[in-house]
Amino acid sequence: MNELTLPLRNLWGRPIRTGLTTLGIAVAIAGFVALTGLTRGVEHSYSAGMEESGADLVVTQKNVFSLMSSSVPETLGPTLAAVAGVEAVSATLLSITTVDDAANIVIAAWPRRSFLWQTVELGEGRLPDDGENWEVVLGRTIAEALGKSVGDTVELQFQPYRIVGIAAFATVLNQNIAMVPLEGLQELIGRQGAVTLYQVRLARPVDATGIAAVKARLSEAAVDYEVSVTSEFASNIRLISLFQAIASTISLVVLAMASIGVANTLLMAVNERTYEIGILAALGWRPGRILRLILIEGLVMSLLGGAIGIGLGIAVMHLASRSHFAAGLMEPYLSASVVVEALISVLVAGPLGALYPAWRATRIVPAEALRMT
Amino acid sequence: MSPLIELLHVRREFDDGRIVAVDDVSLTIARGEAVAIVGRSGSGKSTLLNLMCGLDVPTRGEIRFAGARISGRLAWAEIRARHIGFVFQNFCLIPTLTGRENIEVAMLGQLAGAGRRRQRASELLARLSLAGRADLHPMRLSGGERQRLAIARALANQPQVIVADEPTGSLDSETGRSVIDIIAGLNRELGTTLVIVTHDREVAAVCDRRIEMVDGRVGGGGLAGGGYAPGAAGPAGAAVRHE
Repeated sequence: MNELTLPLRNLWGRPIRTGLTTLGIAVAIAGFVALTGLTRGVEHSYSAGMEESGADLVVTQKNVFSLMSSSVPETLGPTLAAVAGVEAVSATLLSITTVDDAANIVIAAWPRRSFLWQTVELGEGRLPDDGENWEVVLGRTIAEALGKSVGDTVELQFQPYRIVGIAAFATVLNQNIAMVPLEGLQELIGRQGAVTLYQVRLARPVDATGIAAVKARLSEAAVDYEVSVTSEFASNIRLISLFQAIASTISLVVLAMASIGVANTLLMAVNERTYEIGILAALGWRPGRILRLILIEGLVMSLLGGAIGIGLGIAVMHLASRSHFAAGLMEPYLSASVVVEALISVLVAGPLGALYPAWRATRIVPAEALRMT
Repeated sequence: MSPLIELLHVRREFDDGRIVAVDDVSLTIARGEAVAIVGRSGSGKSTLLNLMCGLDVPTRGEIRFAGARISGRLAWAEIRARHIGFVFQNFCLIPTLTGRENIEVAMLGQLAGAGRRRQRASELLARLSLAGRADLHPMRLSGGERQRLAIARALANQPQVIVADEPTGSLDSETGRSVIDIIAGLNRELGTTLVIVTHDREVAAVCDRRIEMVDGRVGGGGLAGGGYAPGAAGPAGAAVRHE
């Protein structure tokens, strides 16, 4: 027998209550993991997609709420291109639309001569011809989802586009993207002379110091705009910050509910086991040891619920990201930090809920408890 | 013999003073002594026992153990863990633990090492003729076996004093006698101090001295600063004195 025998026996002795409380914690942690993972997935999806296109820096409108609402004049392009260390710049106009009521699709439009076209890895077909505005290259996943292949037509923003190529990108964003010539999309959505952002490719070789130096020069050249490293630019988008804030708030509420669940369960357990706790006190168990007994019970339920919840959260995250609503916009993104945060949350929420019942247990007067037979 | 437990003008009130369970009791129990606390139901004998070992807190007065004034939960927990073994009428065993674990639970924090605790529990089980019942839960033991298990647990930390509250109250007379023989044997053979609350004359007879509680007082009148004179009879009174 050791310190864990009695708390484990107590939990095992009331399997339904222990199971339900553990399940409550598991659902809370699953919610936390799924919400946090998906929110960070959106951010990761944007950044990874941009990185895959070969750009090192991104220039957007300052303090932009959502990426799609960013507006940068095309006249900024030459200014950016003239900055020392810049190899190439490309305007990018982004738009989101729904195709055949089946899936969300991000449309990325680039000028004919953009270096971004050269980074497209074609699985089949070709790039749009010069002077042809209504040709499109689809990402492989969205093409498969729509059941389209080279030679078919797809309607984007009420305009029929002829599919001329299927791209084999690695990132979720780019797998679900439709790449079209810039002029046509500007005309379709009434954004002539403006684009969403500029993607900047730096002269090689390049390192972190070099990127930082060029970034500083670009910021001076384009003072009214936000210059971000590609891997970090998504975190500057306020909509994503809002998603994260909503996810954090919901997670906090759910975790608080789980904590209250633990408190309720253990409070009931302490009330039911007043006699048993009285025996332990009579045997000379110090208040600290009795406190530990109840805290361990809370901790065991929390850890068990946390482990189940992390697995459940990953499953929910994958299911949600595959739904028609989310496909192409978010990807499941489980980083070590999400798991660590989930574990820390559960290690705080469980024992926190156990604290009051545990304290109550230490206040039991043995003589009174032993009369409760 | 040096004093082990001393009570000085101890009073215990309940219900905001409307009930006085123990009233101005002063007594001394010496090391190695076997003392029976007798009296009618509700006379305050169990409350007195609880106060002697810190299971309850006096409203007034002072309690000393081995010459030191003891007060506070922590101090009493330490005293009970190291020096006091309990045997209760209703056994007070933990139902979710096996017989062996019920003994080991008393040694947690007192004897380091799970192996050593297990070995000590096995020795005690064998000594109380319970070796074959070690892995059974209390519900599967007979009344006599449960009380022997409780005695084994009381001995786990080699206490200086065994306190027993109506240890034969839930047993048939034959089993009760064997239990008392075991407890009295501890006093005779090991010199363990014995304090037994009982209303059974046979049980009281195995003790060196009787303290009779009447209406919350020793011998009906209480003996300030001194011990109870064996044989002194107090008036039969109401269960608990109400003020």
